[in-house]
Amino acid sequence: MSEVVVSESRCKSCGFCVKNCPKGAISLAHSFNSAGYKYAVVDSEKCIVCGICYTVCPDGVFEIRE
Amino acid sequence: MGDMIKGNDAIAEAAVRAGVQLYAGYPITPSTEVMEYLSWRMPELGRTFIQAESELAGINMVLGFAFCGKRALTASSGPGISLKQEGISYISKYRLPCVVLNVVRYGNGLGSLRSGQSDYFRDTRGGGNGDYRCIVLAPSSVQESVDLMYLAFDLAERYRIVTEVMSESALGQMMEPCEFPPMQELTVQDWALDGKYTHERRVAFMENYVTTAHENNARYEEIKEKEQRYEAVGLEDAEYVFVSYGIPGRVTHGVVNELRARGEKVGLIRPITLWPFPEKAFEQVNPNVKGFITVELNDYGQMVDDVALSVKKKLRTDIPVYCLPYVFEMVKRKDVFRDFEKIRQGQWKEVY
Repeated sequence: MSEVVVSESRCKSCGFCVKNCPKGAISLAHSFNSAGYKYAVVDSEKCIVCGICYTVCPDGVFEIRE
Repeated sequence: MGDMIKGNDAIAEAAVRAGVQLYAGYPITPSTEVMEYLSWRMPELGRTFIQAESELAGINMVLGFAFCGKRALTASSGPGISLKQEGISYISKYRLPCVVLNVVRYGNGLGSLRSGQSDYFRDTRGGGNGDYRCIVLAPSSVQESVDLMYLAFDLAERYRIVTEVMSESALGQMMEPCEFPPMQELTVQDWALDGKYTHERRVAFMENYVTTAHENNARYEEIKEKEQRYEAVGLEDAEYVFVSYGIPGRVTHGVVNELRARGEKVGLIRPITLWPFPEKAFEQVNPNVKGFITVELNDYGQMVDDVALSVKKKLRTDIPVYCLPYVFEMVKRKDVFRDFEKIRQGQWKEVY
C-alpha cells in the first residue's frame, strides 16, 4: 500500500505542493518546524499517491513509499 | 553522490570543515540560514558563534579574530555587505586573512530577495576606502560553493587577503546533492598578536607607505599570475564566446551545449575567480572570434567591462563585446537563444 511521507524539517512553506495537488490533499500546518516554517501536511484520506507533490517540491520534502 | 543539502547549510558546513573558529554576523535574507546553521554547529564543536549587533560590528569582530591568527567568517547580502566595507578596508590595511560570504541579492538600497549579479563592481573593485584587492570566488552549484568556501580560507591565509565567496540567493536556497571535504585541524598563524607584544607593535601611520604599496602590488601580481580559475567550453573554434558566472553561467553553459549540438560554433568562459579576472582564458580563444557576449543578471552589465579589458589585452581591440543583462531573479534559456539571434542579425548594439 503506497503512501506519501513528509520530511517536515526540510519544508520551507513555498506552497507548490498545495497548489499542484490534484485532490487538494495538502495543506500547511498550523505549527512550525525547527526552521520556523509551517510544514506541508498530507491528508491520507484524499491522497491518491500520484507523486505530483514529490515532483514539484524544490526541497525533497516528499517520499513515496511502497 | 552525497545527500541533498540546502546551499546555505552546505556552505556553512564547508566553512566548519575548513577550520573556521569564529562566525560573527547579522542576519539578512538570503544568507540567514548560514548563521542559523552555525549557531548550533559552532558551539557543538567548541568554537565561537556571535550574533553581532550589526554587520559593522560583525566585520570588526572578524578583524579582531584575524589579528589572533585564527580563521574567521562573516556572511551577509547586499546592503549588509555595504555596511562591512569599512571593516574590509581595515582588514586589508593590516594584511589579515578572513572570509566574507556574500549571498548576493539584486538591487540598490534594500534591494529585493531574488538572485542578482548587481554586486560585481563593488566586490571586485572594493567598496571601502583606499587601494586594496579582495579575491572573489563565484560558485555556480552547491558542490562548487562547498569546494570554493573550503579553498577560500587557504587563499586568504596564503596571501593575507580578504577573500569573498560570492554566492547568490537562488544558490543559497536550492537543494542539491553534495560531498563534503574532510574536517581540518584548527590552526593559529605564527604572526598572530597574542597580547604580549611577542611580535612588533603595529600602529597606524607608522609605516612607509611607498614600501607597502610596492609589497602589496607584488602580492596582487602574484595572485593574478597563480590564482585565476575558470571553466572553458569550445573556445578553439568559437565564433561567439559567452562569458557568464554563477547560476547564470550554468544556464549559459546549457545554452552553449545546445547550440554546439546544433552545429553552432559557440564557446563559454565561466569565470570562477572574478578577481583575479580569468584573463588567461581569453588566450585560448579562436583568433578569428567574431564577438564576446556577457550574460549577466543586472541592469546594464558590469562584468562586460572586464571582458572588454581582457579582450583588448589578450586579443584585439576591434572585436565587439556585447551584454545581455537580464536584470534579476533568473536567466532563461529561451531569452538567451532569442537575443543571441538578434546579436547575430546585427540587431543588438555592442557595448564595446
